[in-house]
Amino acid sequence: MKRTRLHLLLLISCWFCSCNEAHTQSYNKLWIPDTLAGTNFNLTIKDTFAQLTPGNQTITAGINNKFWGPTLIFKKGDVVHLNVKNKLNEATTLHWHGFHLPAVMDGGPHQVIPAGTLWQPYWKVTNNAATYWYHPHLHEMTEEHITKGIGGLIIVRDEEESALPLPRKYGVDDIPLVLTDRSFNSQKQFTTVPYGDSMMVNGTLRAQTSVPAQVVRLRVLNAAIERSFNIGFSDNRNFYIITSDGGLLNAPVSVNRYLLHAGERVEILVDFKGQSGQSFDLKAYNSTLANAIAGGENFPGGPFANYLGKKDFTMVHLNVSAQTSNPITSIPTTLKNNVLLKAADANLTRIITMSDSTGVRSPTILGPNAFILNHKLFDINYNNNNVPVGNTEIWEIRSTSGFGHPFHIHDVEFNILSINGAAPPAAQAGWKDVVFVPSRQTVRFIAKFEDYADALHPFMYHCHISLHEDEGMMGQFVVTGSTTPTLEPIKNESNIVVYPNPANDRVFVSFSDRNMEAYYVRIVNMLGKTMYMLPRPQLSEGIEIGHFAPGVYLIQVTDEKTKTVFTKKFTKE
Amino acid sequence: MKNNRTPLALLIFVAAVFWLSFLPENEKTIQEFKLKNVDGKYISFKNYPQAKGFIIVFTCNHCPFAKLYPERLNALNSKYKKLGVPLLAISSTDTITYEEDSFLNMAIKAKREKFNFPYLFDGLQTVAKQFAAQKTPHAYVLWKVGGKWVIKYSGAIDDNGAEPDKVENPYVARAVDALLAGKDAAVKETKSIGCQIYFRK
Repeated sequence: MKRTRLHLLLLISCWFCSCNEAHTQSYNKLWIPDTLAGTNFNLTIKDTFAQLTPGNQTITAGINNKFWGPTLIFKKGDVVHLNVKNKLNEATTLHWHGFHLPAVMDGGPHQVIPAGTLWQPYWKVTNNAATYWYHPHLHEMTEEHITKGIGGLIIVRDEEESALPLPRKYGVDDIPLVLTDRSFNSQKQFTTVPYGDSMMVNGTLRAQTSVPAQVVRLRVLNAAIERSFNIGFSDNRNFYIITSDGGLLNAPVSVNRYLLHAGERVEILVDFKGQSGQSFDLKAYNSTLANAIAGGENFPGGPFANYLGKKDFTMVHLNVSAQTSNPITSIPTTLKNNVLLKAADANLTRIITMSDSTGVRSPTILGPNAFILNHKLFDINYNNNNVPVGNTEIWEIRSTSGFGHPFHIHDVEFNILSINGAAPPAAQAGWKDVVFVPSRQTVRFIAKFEDYADALHPFMYHCHISLHEDEGMMGQFVVTGSTTPTLEPIKNESNIVVYPNPANDRVFVSFSDRNMEAYYVRIVNMLGKTMYMLPRPQLSEGIEIGHFAPGVYLIQVTDEKTKTVFTKKFTKE
Repeated sequence: MKNNRTPLALLIFVAAVFWLSFLPENEKTIQEFKLKNVDGKYISFKNYPQAKGFIIVFTCNHCPFAKLYPERLNALNSKYKKLGVPLLAISSTDTITYEEDSFLNMAIKAKREKFNFPYLFDGLQTVAKQFAAQKTPHAYVLWKVGGKWVIKYSGAIDDNGAEPDKVENPYVARAVDALLAGKDAAVKETKSIGCQIYFRK
């Protein structure tokens, strides 16, 4: 899992030879990721290549695609099953960013999917309608895997949102915009660097798209490694923010700029009525950003120097076309009646410090020092916090860092109580899972930690700048409660039965003790390759093994309560 | 006297390390190896007593980028084998992860795609480690210099995988042409582009 990071020299040479791909040619058609809907989703993560620039192709990785992945459409209340096949030649993980789900399904650094393995998480969608995403989260490899292009959007729909007069014709008046930047070396390959020299939207360089002459919804994700984007339009028009990360706001918030940090999403409404035939640019107005905000620095050289630093630049060129049938033509005045958590609801305040380490160096360090949380680097074997299930907690993030960091927490959506003592701006007064902690300021948020106690698999909290996260700016917590192991582990292989043996299409697992339940099932072939990783599988219909090669397999079953691992052999005919 | 020797020895050692670290990587020599071809016969450099050099290409079955090159490998071998520079393809990827890269599947692919060159199975990954091959495909041009096999080029086969008609720099062919003309390759090293070869521990 450890990797040799790029040497400074290599980085500088990449910086010298990288050509800025964004300003040399005409526009390309914005690629719109296809959608997958329903309750069963097949996702294959694979090494591939894409024609991103003229000349040689760029080695990329994608999910069912050449770069990036399909947009998954979930319905609140459904149980969704994800069949994730890792066809990379290395391990990775896939994290469902923003979702409330069991930690063992979360896809964080502990739910490693080895090369060639099928991982099948599932959970009941309880999140509100909004735009979420999925991305790799393998410790020390996140930046590299995201750079290659692994990730995708998730749209959650619910009854409340569906009843509102909002644009929702995907790709027509409801357009996903995944904001990233990349650098290319002289051989047209991505360099794994915190800042790219070329803006990409949905994997498209110099993107343009048409928008109908009506109210259009843009679902904007900042999927960059580090850069923040200060979003605005070239005609300086106002637009309307309708969601924070995890749900609708009470009412649209009219702004002409919105600063979106790594990991954050925002859905905006833009009124193009009566503007058919005109063109506008969606731009990043980053020239005005402070030095302590990602993208606002202006390094003349070194690994953080980049063409787009502290500049205003076009992200996507928009050509207004004819109105569609049944257009949305007005901005709703209200959206939702959110019941937000209040400070008085909290039964605990937890303090997390955010600082520039002096003398604490990550083994993978790029900069002079790592940024750290709680005065220590992330240690995957160290649990930073126990959160009792049912707790409503205030998390107070106190920064002494000279740089601003987008703080993300898994498992929950939270409400911001204050940023540097002041109430959050209206566009952030809703459900959030990333909050920007400005340099040397304090942010307080409140969250309720419901369900899914699990003493074995932790949830993460970290800076969403992938470089900082990889270097150790991360902590973890377990939700403690009733499913914590209470029994002494008893190892008795006769407690589980695997049948039939030999098997053809399916194997079934049953327990002799009715208190036992499968927490994890892993099937390994005799070469040691993990074939399946099945968190909390539903075993009543058996496990599909029809396509396995004939031979002997090991099946390891972890019991839910005791976390005891039982191993059995079976033969596939 | 005795006390003075230590710093001098240290200085020589440091200088040697310094000098070694600046040895160009493409001047590395390669030890003889022996690998099984898809026809079941073992092949080594000794099978080619007349060879002036070799084009060695680390490739594999599964990698989408490597899949773009078989025709170009056939063409390289057709052109240069008769000039004393045969091509050997080697698969060193992890067959536990990729069943598609198994010896049996290599043989099927070599037959189906009419490989006119040996396709060798490096199951223990020792040869790829000796070359420090990074990606599939990763090409090397070896040349016989004073009885030793020296790496004269390392990197990509050319500069366009998916569009062979748009290749501007056929690196391997140019390196072999130069060496056949008694010169060194103008470009001795590029980065190989493709799927990472992961070495089993």
